[in-house]
Amino acid sequence: MAEERPAKWGLVVDLDRCTGCNACIVACALENNVPFVGEDEVAYGRALYWIRTQRYWEGEYPEVTPTFQPVMCQQCGNAPCEPVCPVYASVHSEEEQINLAVYNRCVGTRYCANNCPYFARVFNWFDYELPEPMRSYLNPDVTVRRRGVMEKCTFCVQRIVRGRQKARAEGRELRDGEVQPACVQACPAEALVFGDLSDPESRVSQLARSQRRYHLLEALGTLPRVTYLKGVGNHGG
Amino acid sequence: MSEKISRRDFLKLTAMGAATTAVMTGCGPMSRYVVRRPYTQMPEYNQTGESTYYASTCRECPAGCGIIVRTREGRALTIEGNPNHPVNRGRLCARGLTAQQGLYNPDRIRAPRFQGRSNPATPGRDLTWDEAVQVVATALQKPPQRIAFLLGLAPDHLYDLVSELTQALGAPPPLRYNALAALEGRTTLIEAVRRLFGSPALPYFDLAQAEVTLAFGADFLQSWLSPVTYTRAYGAMRQGNPRRRGELIVFEPRQSLTAGNADRWVPIVPGSEAHVVLALGQRVAELRGLPVPEAFRAVRPEEAAQVSGLPLEQLETLAQTFATATRPLALVGGSALTQPNGLVTAQAVLALNALVGNLGQPGGVFLSAAAATPTPLAEVKALVERMQAGEVDVLFIHGVNPLFEVPAALGFEAALARVPLVINFAAFPDETALKSDYLFPDHSPLESFGYQRSLAGSDRPAWSALQPVVVPLYDTRATVDVLLAAAQASGQALLPYRDEVDFIQQKILPLINAGGFYTAPEILTFWSRWLQHGGWWTPAAGLPTPTLERLPASFGTLTPPTPPAEGAFYLLTYANHLGDGSGANRPWLQELPDAMTTVTWNSWVEIHPRTAEELGLKDDDVVRITTPYGSVEASVYRYPAIRPDTLAIPFGQGHTALGRWAEGRGCNPAQVLPAGHNAAGDLAFIGTTATLTPTGRRRPLARVESKEGVYGEH
Amino acid sequence: MAVEAKPLETAVPLPHAEEDPREHLMFDPRPREVMNRMVMEAMTTTSRRYWAWVIGLALVVLVCLLGAWGNMILTGMGLAGIRRPVFWGLFIVTFVFWIGISHAGTFVSAILRVFKAEFRRPFTRAAELMTTFALAAGALYPLIHLGRVWVFYWLIPYPNARWLWPNFRSPLVWDFLAITTYLLSSTIYLYLPLVPDLAMARDRTTGWRHALYRLLALGWRGTEAEWHRLRRAITIFAFAIIPVMFSVHTIVSWDFAVGVVAGWHSTIFGPYFIIGAILSGVAAVVSILFVLRSTMLHMDYFIRKEHFDALGKLLLVFSMAWAYFFFNDYLLTWYGGEEAARRILTLHATGPAAWVWYLMLICNVVIPWLTLWNRTIRRTPWAMFIITLLINVGMYAERYTIIPLTLGHQRMPFDWGVYTPRPTEISIVIGTFALFLLLYLLASRLIPLVPVWEVQEGQMAHTLRKVGKAEVPSVTELE
Repeated sequence: MAEERPAKWGLVVDLDRCTGCNACIVACALENNVPFVGEDEVAYGRALYWIRTQRYWEGEYPEVTPTFQPVMCQQCGNAPCEPVCPVYASVHSEEEQINLAVYNRCVGTRYCANNCPYFARVFNWFDYELPEPMRSYLNPDVTVRRRGVMEKCTFCVQRIVRGRQKARAEGRELRDGEVQPACVQACPAEALVFGDLSDPESRVSQLARSQRRYHLLEALGTLPRVTYLKGVGNHGG
Repeated sequence: MSEKISRRDFLKLTAMGAATTAVMTGCGPMSRYVVRRPYTQMPEYNQTGESTYYASTCRECPAGCGIIVRTREGRALTIEGNPNHPVNRGRLCARGLTAQQGLYNPDRIRAPRFQGRSNPATPGRDLTWDEAVQVVATALQKPPQRIAFLLGLAPDHLYDLVSELTQALGAPPPLRYNALAALEGRTTLIEAVRRLFGSPALPYFDLAQAEVTLAFGADFLQSWLSPVTYTRAYGAMRQGNPRRRGELIVFEPRQSLTAGNADRWVPIVPGSEAHVVLALGQRVAELRGLPVPEAFRAVRPEEAAQVSGLPLEQLETLAQTFATATRPLALVGGSALTQPNGLVTAQAVLALNALVGNLGQPGGVFLSAAAATPTPLAEVKALVERMQAGEVDVLFIHGVNPLFEVPAALGFEAALARVPLVINFAAFPDETALKSDYLFPDHSPLESFGYQRSLAGSDRPAWSALQPVVVPLYDTRATVDVLLAAAQASGQALLPYRDEVDFIQQKILPLINAGGFYTAPEILTFWSRWLQHGGWWTPAAGLPTPTLERLPASFGTLTPPTPPAEGAFYLLTYANHLGDGSGANRPWLQELPDAMTTVTWNSWVEIHPRTAEELGLKDDDVVRITTPYGSVEASVYRYPAIRPDTLAIPFGQGHTALGRWAEGRGCNPAQVLPAGHNAAGDLAFIGTTATLTPTGRRRPLARVESKEGVYGEH
Repeated sequence: MAVEAKPLETAVPLPHAEEDPREHLMFDPRPREVMNRMVMEAMTTTSRRYWAWVIGLALVVLVCLLGAWGNMILTGMGLAGIRRPVFWGLFIVTFVFWIGISHAGTFVSAILRVFKAEFRRPFTRAAELMTTFALAAGALYPLIHLGRVWVFYWLIPYPNARWLWPNFRSPLVWDFLAITTYLLSSTIYLYLPLVPDLAMARDRTTGWRHALYRLLALGWRGTEAEWHRLRRAITIFAFAIIPVMFSVHTIVSWDFAVGVVAGWHSTIFGPYFIIGAILSGVAAVVSILFVLRSTMLHMDYFIRKEHFDALGKLLLVFSMAWAYFFFNDYLLTWYGGEEAARRILTLHATGPAAWVWYLMLICNVVIPWLTLWNRTIRRTPWAMFIITLLINVGMYAERYTIIPLTLGHQRMPFDWGVYTPRPTEISIVIGTFALFLLLYLLASRLIPLVPVWEVQEGQMAHTLRKVGKAEVPSVTELE
């Protein structure tokens, strides 16, 4: 079996394609067993979206236009959430070069969430029980988190692992685009592209070199693995 | 019907179409029934810890996207797009992704049931399916002219079967209605295509390759015809070609998601779309050096500018942009069609496309391969009148919730009470189901066989297949099977089909060597491929090119919109991700922020901030919206992207039934919509005016955005 | 009593010498036995009102603290008003508040001891008790605010079956170590000077109290050697505990300062927090002294206007120092020009919760500066009580501004959020206040609240000498 090259997974969000339809939110929620919390809790800012679309308005009527920017965990190379966790529940993975959330280690200090400049982390304020038989659709690859645990986007690490195992079993390397997180897979506008940034030929690498690229809050030096491509044109994206 | 499916133990086989397993070799007959066994004796394709994938078709809206359902240990886990499916190419929207919350919804109807409709105090009772089939058989023996079928837009195979059944019985053909289709003006579009191009089909617009696109009211990114197809095309239009970026200009009174993503949003007066299109057409023809067709002369540009509120010079700029583009394209739908001028607008836009010569061209207009069934409100109205007059003895309802979806002004509820026998095949206890005599629940779409053949988003001839991905959870039964069994039990040889699978196989038989990307020598092999791939389609893209013989001299009479009276507003409603409202019981659809407002779990009324300020209204103030047809209450959302003279309420909330997550949230705009229709028979509500009264109460909306951060308000 | 004393060369005239020096405790000596009995009486006398308070507070602790906390453990952190993006709320605010209060004892007892401020003598123990109990109350919060408190021991470094040490890069682990160290050392520092007084109590009680004091007094007999060792130990501890004290609040401030949160990321946070802690701690000492003086027997003998006066002056100085750091924090942030931090500072002063910010400035700066310069006010115990309570309100507001109000307005305006405390957390906060008071009430009747030997030692060093016709106060320097 060939020696495996460690991948550096990355995501590109093309804001010129993104329509703000929010399909990614639902795809993510159902892949990752993210609970729904109900009207009052959403109103109080306790929804557990791992990815959400930031919608601002630009301009004045009639030239007003929304700008959509999906924001998920940026999988920072230099993640502010990691050093502050006292129990190593927020750690960097060697193999995927992403920022993992280890649910069963978390004691719920919520420090990581305060320290995340992207607000990418959400907390299980309660146990969110699903009425029977809704538990049947829970994804067995992903832990169902109990109350008091922090959670966040993992780039669907379960899919990465599954893909890698499959490739390993077949004695080959992972193909570009073979592994896709749920949001990328669902995105109807194909605004999200996922892949290995350490491979300069991968689609995500090529896009990440686009002249339209930028990172969120780049000045903080967090080295995000998510690259945004600016919408072009008058109001695009 | 045969004892095979009347036994509970025998359930529909779910395994046939596993996309990943070697079982699918097409090597022989496959049983359509499977015994429910304990998982200690699991079939070999279903190992513990191994996922099995099934290809099927999404039925959350009529678009018919292909899905792949991941199952494990007999449970449907996640739903993914079918990467080969011509409609969605592996992509899915929020509605399709929540289908398993319908399958596993705790509020499903779990067994056939009789309810004491006339007397609410009478307790209902559960029935056996044998009794249920008997009830249907008896009902089918009523005088044929007094039998009515009201169906939804999905699934198509049921519609085909009921069409054959009604034909065999001599009953009126089944009627289809769907709020989503009504809000997007589907019937008007089909009628316009029929008038101009001769066949009743839905047009297919090649948005992906268009350079300059004008969209009149068509919210193709969220609800119109086939949102996933068009969102995919939108992405390609923007960034698919490295050399140029497509431009999008949207005309509508309220900024929809599509207009929000446009390069330019033109907020014209509701109801003036036809004027704008005609004026644009004149200038485009002149700029392209073509004779101006007679039909476009119905309005002078000055008049159009005055009626629409769009300055003449802007109209000129738009005409130039469109006329000089290499690949111009014009789309029409939604608010441009659901109005008295709708049919004129639809024809004018199609003719505009013809004018710039993009029919059948890349980036132009095509016709869908399959004939489309219109869903005219006018015929629903006729049915209501018949019901009201006592001319309907038995009404069968499937896949539609008229008490919620049809404008209340039509009087469906009162008419329903006059029908002596109402048989509903609903899977959920929706508003109409609670007012029906019998509930004979159909399987949920993920437990069903079937097909969709009217695929508005397909770029090639295609049929999309449905198959069960799990064994049915409850004592439900496929409506097709119930009807077939009843037809058999009624003693007449009405239909030559053994069961649902047999029916589908006979319907798809012509496809087995019709040039699809796979062929088969006989139906059983074909059937296994059909299930494996989730349908059938041709290997290459290609759709009929519409041919315009001759433009009519006039598209119809034009009525300029009447401005609202002092203190009144134009009222409109639109479909967001909740669609026709049947998705309101999916908790994740409720939890999903509305794309434009980020509001969850409720209804709101959109008011321009300036108007709100004039009226002294703040966010979250509850207001009462009153039209001549009724009134609803909702919280104010100060929406910066709506005309100051217009109010908008999203469709889909305001359920009084449909389970724990849908009930008692928000308001149903169908309560205030008019029952009028346009020349195509489609619902016409644009131009309705409403008054607004503050109630003095406040009910905060659960919005995801920070009002402080986004609007700078504290 | 062993006093190693040598006479001073010249007599130091006291300030306000025109007064009768006998107003000062040090020049108003009473016989040892009388004083001992006064302290014993104060300790053993309980009124009906006392028991009413004890029972009332115990009930509040039971219901508001244990009940609400237990319910929160079983239901979820959601019962508190915290939300995205304000993940820390009243719990951490109150935690910082209590840790701040805990600086009082060490400051009064150790620093004033090291600097030989004589006025400290009668209330060192009252202040040290505050330290210990405030730490006890405060140390609950790191537990209370845990989402999964049932696995709190994962924060503790010990070889374990998980094969995992805590992350020593995390300030929360530093916190844990600092607070544990401080709690241990301040408890020992409370206990050491207590030994002679416990022995005194042992000799004057019978029954369970006698047994208790005999156990606690460790066989103290008062020999020269014992005094010598005690004095050495106290001196070592007094010097050793000062850096611990400084480290504790510095580390607490690092919880915030090492984060990337705009408005937290500031190098001045360490000293700023220390000054704030001492300000609130000393203010709390004054409040407690007033209560002790007005409720316990003979306390008006030990705690006099001069003490309020002296502490008042200290408070004024610390209020000014606090204002200096506060200004510094703002100035640097403003000058640094980071957009997010600047926006936060603006929002503190103009946003919907600006009243908290103004409350902080009024209570911490305006009121002390307007009142504490005035000797009459400083010498009016009830006025000092009110002023010091207000200072602590102001310091609570400071922490509230720094924590939830800063977290709510970070770099992504779309996700801003306003935090509203909810009944559960308010109840828990009230519960820990009740716990602190309850512990203090119980301790006031269990251990001698006045370090008798220290007072007597001081009184022996202070004498009035006749120089001609005038009586001149003279102080003998100890050691």
